[in-house]
Amino acid sequence: MADFLTRHTKDPAQKKLDTARGRGAYEGFRRALAMSRQEVVAEIDASGLRGRGGAGFPTGRKWSFIHAKEGQSVYLLCNADESEPGTFKDHHLMTFDPHLVLEGVAVGAYAIGAHRAYIYLRGEYASIAETLAAALREATAAGIIGQSCLGSGYDLSVGLQLGAGAYICGEETGLIQSLEGKRAYPRVRPPFPAVHGFLREPTVVNNVETLACAARIMAEGAEAFARLGTRQSAGTKLISVSGAVERPGVYEVEMGYPLMQFLSHEAGGISGGRRLKAIIPGGTSVPVLTAEEAAPLTIDYESMLSAGTMLGSGGMIVFGDGTSMPHALLRIAEFYAHESCGECTPCREGTGWMAWVLRRLLAGEGRPGDLGLLLRVGDNIEGRTICGLGDASVQPVRSFIRKFRQEFEALAPLPVAFPAWQLHGHGPRTGRFGPPVEEAAQSQPVEGPPDYVL
Amino acid sequence: MLTSEGLEEIEATRAEEPSARHALLTALRVTQRERHKVGPEEIEYIAGLLGLSPAIVEGVARFYDQITASPTGQHIVRVCGGITCYLSQSDRVAQDLKGFLGIADGEETSPDGEFTVRLVECIGDCDHAPAGMLDDRFVGPLDERALRTISER
Repeated sequence: MADFLTRHTKDPAQKKLDTARGRGAYEGFRRALAMSRQEVVAEIDASGLRGRGGAGFPTGRKWSFIHAKEGQSVYLLCNADESEPGTFKDHHLMTFDPHLVLEGVAVGAYAIGAHRAYIYLRGEYASIAETLAAALREATAAGIIGQSCLGSGYDLSVGLQLGAGAYICGEETGLIQSLEGKRAYPRVRPPFPAVHGFLREPTVVNNVETLACAARIMAEGAEAFARLGTRQSAGTKLISVSGAVERPGVYEVEMGYPLMQFLSHEAGGISGGRRLKAIIPGGTSVPVLTAEEAAPLTIDYESMLSAGTMLGSGGMIVFGDGTSMPHALLRIAEFYAHESCGECTPCREGTGWMAWVLRRLLAGEGRPGDLGLLLRVGDNIEGRTICGLGDASVQPVRSFIRKFRQEFEALAPLPVAFPAWQLHGHGPRTGRFGPPVEEAAQSQPVEGPPDYVL
Repeated sequence: MLTSEGLEEIEATRAEEPSARHALLTALRVTQRERHKVGPEEIEYIAGLLGLSPAIVEGVARFYDQITASPTGQHIVRVCGGITCYLSQSDRVAQDLKGFLGIADGEETSPDGEFTVRLVECIGDCDHAPAGMLDDRFVGPLDERALRTISER
């Protein structure tokens, strides 16, 4: 296990400023303040830190996109909405080391030239907001955050905002909208938040863990972080593991750590002496892995990508044998149907359709071609929406059906006919409206009722 | 309509933010906490308080799950229905809890208006599956002991 971020999270006294400072809290911020903004951005860039919220975008690069014009204000927003099913790492970090999170916010704000930052927490995290508020009061009273932070002449104020129950607020532009007191309908990009963000001013939105990493990098130096992990995935990652394991919880591992070792050592093995059936490695929005696929993988961006999935948020959900994958998928599909914000038609309607068709399959009322219909609805959502929720909703449906096909076929009335291109994934797509022509021509001949019954 | 404490919280947010609109989410949260609903009356009130159109207030209010048009009980128990908790049968837990609290099938709130039980989407406490919240507190795993603690409250 690694402890770059979580060295002190086991001690409840870490929440107190005195204890945390005795262990070096805010020394990273102090070091940053002694440098120029550009130097801080360069340091984070050199560390190889990539966003920990799910997308994995290089943090230093994101910060370097901020070019405020004369008279513009810059904002740093810390995304603590953490609503991806299976993800609770930020919950853990904010609860047990709030000063590390605040330090990260301060470092990020300084690096992009922001004098106002917000931490946006999901509504369910009201008790965590109180922990952060208490830490913020201490840090303000000690002159660390506020006017002339640590005597440097740099001013920063930090606001806390609680959401009120909407998954889409974790999407960066949805978060901005919500913070502005609006329905959290994501915005069309471009313009990106770096140009037109909060209040139409240059804005960076970073995940909690990303900012905590930034604070530690400033304290220990880019080299200390870059030394950890793999070439493309520097540092460590918080993994929140839940489901069929003996010891669910949050664990910090060095990037490149073997997945199976993580399951057997950190997570304590599959619960009840069962066998591993499947893993969703990074929250429900990434494709599921079969036990066989998962076996050779390591916990880092490139290994997950090589297996056609993503490290995502590090919200790992483990399924033991005996789990009904169609039932699990229905629950996931219902989540997206419920949380689709309704702004884009393909997602609003499509997520509902996917849940509805799965429900009827499980009720024994499936129709011929329902599996093909599910996949086609997914194809019609993907790439046609403003934000990533639509794309995300398709990943579990597609991967569950392809990888656990027999379980789904057992539910569907025969013949289960769906074209080969849907089973084997897309080749290079020729357009937005279907499979490449040559592949479609090679599809299996369909017998019985037509493939899609709409 | 609101307590002085609640009003102060809204006022403090409003004073800190660039416009009244930015205090709307906080106003909705405070109102929900104190009135257990944000219905037409509350919408008119908030609109007046912040100088916004009632249509804007209602539009935002109806977007968020924790802001409800019809009243909830004094206490709200959220049972997590996220995928991990679902696999540990949280839907049955919710049923059991409703039974404990005398909440009829198809209803969410106990007849005495004390408790509302709601099966919700992932609450981000998956290592305590089946996870749950009593008001703002995480109380998972919802085993028999936790259920009894809740019902005795």
